[in-house]
Amino acid sequence: MSSVIEQIEQQIANLQTKTVASNTGKIITVGDGVAKIDGLTEVMYNEMIEFPGNTIGIALNLEEDEVGAVILGEANHLREGDEVKCTGKLLSVPVGKALLGRVVDALGRPVDGKGAIETGETYPVEKIAPGIIERKSVDQPLMTGIQAIDSMIPIGRGQRELIIGDRGTGKTTIAIDTIINQANINKVGLASGDPDFRPVYSIYVAVGQKNSNVARTLGVLEEKGALEYTIVVSAPAADSAANQYLAPYTGAAMGEWFMSNGMDALIVYDDLSKHAAAYRQMSLVLKRPSGREAYPGDVFYLHSRLLERSARVNEENGNGSLTALPIIETLAGDLSAYIPTNVISITDGQIFLETDLFNQGIRPAVSVGLSVSRVGSAAQLKATKQVAGKIKLELAQFRELAAFAQFGSDLDAKTKAQLDRGSRIVELFKQPAFNPIPIEQQVGVLWAMQNNYFDDIDVSKMVSASDSLRDFLVSRKEALLTSVREKAKIDDEIADQLKSAVDEWKASFA
Amino acid sequence: MTKDQQIKEFAKQLLKFSLENGELSAERVDGVLKSLEKNPPRHHVATLKAYLKLVQREVSKSTAVISHAGDLSSDAVTGVVKQLSAKYGRNLASVTREDPSLIAGLRVVVDCDVYDASIASSLNTLQASLS
Repeated sequence: MSSVIEQIEQQIANLQTKTVASNTGKIITVGDGVAKIDGLTEVMYNEMIEFPGNTIGIALNLEEDEVGAVILGEANHLREGDEVKCTGKLLSVPVGKALLGRVVDALGRPVDGKGAIETGETYPVEKIAPGIIERKSVDQPLMTGIQAIDSMIPIGRGQRELIIGDRGTGKTTIAIDTIINQANINKVGLASGDPDFRPVYSIYVAVGQKNSNVARTLGVLEEKGALEYTIVVSAPAADSAANQYLAPYTGAAMGEWFMSNGMDALIVYDDLSKHAAAYRQMSLVLKRPSGREAYPGDVFYLHSRLLERSARVNEENGNGSLTALPIIETLAGDLSAYIPTNVISITDGQIFLETDLFNQGIRPAVSVGLSVSRVGSAAQLKATKQVAGKIKLELAQFRELAAFAQFGSDLDAKTKAQLDRGSRIVELFKQPAFNPIPIEQQVGVLWAMQNNYFDDIDVSKMVSASDSLRDFLVSRKEALLTSVREKAKIDDEIADQLKSAVDEWKASFA
Repeated sequence: MTKDQQIKEFAKQLLKFSLENGELSAERVDGVLKSLEKNPPRHHVATLKAYLKLVQREVSKSTAVISHAGDLSSDAVTGVVKQLSAKYGRNLASVTREDPSLIAGLRVVVDCDVYDASIASSLNTLQASLS
């Protein structure tokens, strides 16, 4: 108690002699979450400005006679002629581990009703991305737990991998599966006591989504025990365009804290199409010149400066990483629209989800031909490479042949075998939502596929066969799975053990 | 150029004519107004409004508005104006206003800059730091 009194006395002592100098302006117009201000002669671009009633804004348009600012939060109490002050600060948000397990808004304020967040540190929401010297190549894998992705489109820590597809094709599900898988890996790794284990913390940024969707995602994360390793930044559809514009940068600042402190983090931007639309809305109200599809001219920079902040930094800079999974929603599978092409060119690859595959029951509906990972293969585990090296090619050949096969019934034996194998691989990669598969189990199943153990199993039974094999390995061959996980490659000893294990399973599987 | 821009540009020209050695001259402003009255331009009212805005801004740049609660000696006013004139590098005029809401102390406004040494502002800051 005495320290509080001392603090107040100190404040009073300071205040008695202090003259506060501030640069001010007056509101000319206010509306649609945007204010035009006369004055503020010393305001900086992106500076936080203070409106009456503790309302915060950001100066975005510095014009000859006036300043255009977006208002963050409630603006109904603001009137023409109200005084506005410069703060001399860039907008900052709280960062740190205390945010894990919490849901915050675009300004980092808790919205989950779990009380205040005790964190002393803040990071600016806008920050220059790490430069070339600070960076390092992507060389550590980030497992999504989704077989089709981990084997064919591997992601590395520090990579930016776009998830793109039409509405309702499972984009968010892939991102949530990845978050759940990180939590599962973290639990196993931290329990093992391995000093070299590097947990991956997740940040899920929901932009312009329905509150019910965010609540459902939260429910899943909580149910799967992943929320304790996750920060959720929510700027739902009901929030102002300014908040929706800010939310991804807020999430990036929180992720950067982990990266700067030598930790690994994963950030999901769900989704950047809505983010671009919010920015367009804001820019149009600010009367900025509009370009293609009415987006402002700097919409590319909007996303490039955000995604460049995801990086893998070298040992001198803490050896941390921030992996980004931005999501883009396409219309009728049109990859050549403005925002999709922009983000495709910024990212290090994309996972394209097809509506047709989804409707055929192939879930996750990953289009193998259009999906690519430009840097992740360097980070792929050797064990996965050993068992999945040819799968992408086989699957691509299968898709091509399957299209041809529709026109004729007379197929030669080789083509028939390729089609047969392809349809088995497709079945093998089917996976229910929110059920990521640990990498050692994936290796076991893919090894069996590579060594033709599934060839005599009916295609319709492939899913149950792979489930059964995984159950068998988990319940009966835990030591083998552990050694696959620890060695991360298949040597002769492991190959022998896998062979005997799969033989044993095959004998029991009818 | 749009209509608004043309008006703004014209008002800026008028302001230029109103300055003498970089400072606003009442005689010149009077001359400008008489000339406008004789030869009214297109959009006369809008032009006058834009001109008024620029003149107001110019006046606020060269005036220190000193609000105070309680008595304020002329020596204190002279001291404040002298210091601020030195800071801005131009001669400032002063206008004093009594404002009891300050409780005690001074609040000086020069253009967009506010120098607040009032008790009301200190209490507001204290309240904000404690909340």
